[in-house]
Amino acid sequence: MHLLIEAIGFGVASGAVLALGAVGFTLQFGISNVLNITYGSLMTLAAFLGAFLLGLGLNVWLVMALGGLLIGVASVALNRGLLSPLIRRGLQPFGLIIVTVSAGIVVQYMIVAVAGPSTVAYGNLSGATLHFLGWTLTTAQVVILVVALVLMVGLHILLTRTQLGRAMRATSSNRTLARSCGIATTRIGDIAWFLSGTFCGMAGIALAITVESFDFTLGSVVLIPIIAAAVLGGVGQPYGAMVGGLVVGIVSQVSAAYWSPSYENVVALAMLIVMLLVRPRGLFGANSSSRKLLA
Amino acid sequence: MPTSSDSGGRETPALAVQNLVAGYGDFAVVDGVSLEVPVGKVVAVAGPNGAGKSTLLKAMLGIARVMSGKVLLDGQDVTSAPLEKLARLGVGYVPQLDDVFDSLKVLENLEMGGYLCNRVERQRRIERVLQVFPQLQAKLHRYAETLSGGERKMTAIARVLMLDPKILVLDEPTASLTPELSRVVLEEQVRPLSAMGTSVLLVEQKAVAALAIADWAYLLVRGRVEVSAPAAEVLSDPNMREIFLGRAAAEVAARSVDAE
Ligand SMILES: Nc1ncnc2c1ncn2[C@@H]1O[C@H](COP(=O)(O)OP(=O)(O)OP(=O)(O)O)[C@@H](O)[C@H]1O
Ligand SMILES: [Mg+2]
Repeated sequence: MHLLIEAIGFGVASGAVLALGAVGFTLQFGISNVLNITYGSLMTLAAFLGAFLLGLGLNVWLVMALGGLLIGVASVALNRGLLSPLIRRGLQPFGLIIVTVSAGIVVQYMIVAVAGPSTVAYGNLSGATLHFLGWTLTTAQVVILVVALVLMVGLHILLTRTQLGRAMRATSSNRTLARSCGIATTRIGDIAWFLSGTFCGMAGIALAITVESFDFTLGSVVLIPIIAAAVLGGVGQPYGAMVGGLVVGIVSQVSAAYWSPSYENVVALAMLIVMLLVRPRGLFGANSSSRKLLA
Repeated sequence: MPTSSDSGGRETPALAVQNLVAGYGDFAVVDGVSLEVPVGKVVAVAGPNGAGKSTLLKAMLGIARVMSGKVLLDGQDVTSAPLEKLARLGVGYVPQLDDVFDSLKVLENLEMGGYLCNRVERQRRIERVLQVFPQLQAKLHRYAETLSGGERKMTAIARVLMLDPKILVLDEPTASLTPELSRVVLEEQVRPLSAMGTSVLLVEQKAVAALAIADWAYLLVRGRVEVSAPAAEVLSDPNMREIFLGRAAAEVAARSVDAE
């Protein structure tokens, strides 16, 4: 029993990072309908940028915020510079996926070219170990949990209480109709890509903080549970992705505790496949075909 | 400035198309249509299913591909202009399908309709459109995808009224409304709007109801204008009436198929 409670604690902590990543992934997909596999490499880029910024002596949480902003900009550049022009020329969704896969590999090897293939470590940033609810978490994990929570609440307020957020959901729901209301959907797309990149970057750095060390494969490995979390929640639905992240995190950690840590990703993939078999529209998509970005 | 020779001396139409050829990909559905919506008038377009009525509207709004010809707004060339720009110029549009934001609440649909105006004005307009459609009051916090067909249409029309449009482009706005509500929408909403200066381009299956509030009528068959006449004339002439009611329109269509 104690083992289970501990594992759930770890699951919540790692789930928070997955949730951050999954929300960013799904937010952008919900609005632009592009399955962006480059996302994983952008997370890796964030982790390496984080190492560089930490080397300059900056505070780790400032680094996380800065990394988020920088990856946000990179994400907009990816869309504006590469994907949008291809869509305008009529490239179909499948072709676009191949492009994002390729761009991801290019980014990955650019990182290797600059930083080398060896592992990188942020050093011990965990802080004091905290005990509560039977959980044992580091201060860093708790801060990440709180940051993730704040970002999710912030996103919720943005999407439901502001005219900009409603316009984002309207664009996700029906782009032509949104344009007919005067909504500049290209700008909405930029904002979605930026927010998505910000979540991606912050998740990448949060992940780098919580692992002992990482290399250029960091993002491409974690992309699998992130996509699993997004699918679990119903692709395009931020709330679903939040819950999906937690579920994948907890199930992975519990199975790691009772079974073997090396099966973590296998469990995530198995969940993904089972989910697609039984509820292709996600946990909350049972009676809805069109619900995107919240409902 | 009037741009075509036959409009010399008349007021510039609010909306006009000249020799419009438009469709999807390389396939032309609209085949050389010219049409005018004078300021403050209601213009009805009728025609059989698949005639290209919706495509004509989409081409005018830059949604379907324009292959040749021009779209003029207040005499200004807006061919293939972005839809959001047309909205800013005061063009409101209710599509035949996908006419609401499914994953938004009814109230949020209305708020999106008033996207271009400030919060105070938006609130004022919401109260106004709710007087038009009091049935929506109880549904404000329902997601649009959970509405009935008629409630959806009401939401769609209420949403476009939120824009306070100068030019209103309606693609079968009364489909799935009861006859009574169709009458209310056409006679008590669309008609008075035009009296207040709004120009309306109306595609309607309920041809008689549409003609009753229209100033001018076009009959579109296989992407071409077959008849262009004052609505009152069409209504009073039994032959014309027949044509617009569809039976003969189908014959015209059949004849042009034979001709190929
Ligand atoms: N997105 C599309 N891609 C390709 N062809 C289309 C598309 N939309 C419509 N068409 C074709 O264009 C033709 C005209 O369609 P349109 O919707 O304009 O007809 P309509 O007059 O509005 O008919 P209805 O009265 O049934 O609404 C049809 O033959 C249709 O198959
Ligand atoms: Mg139609």
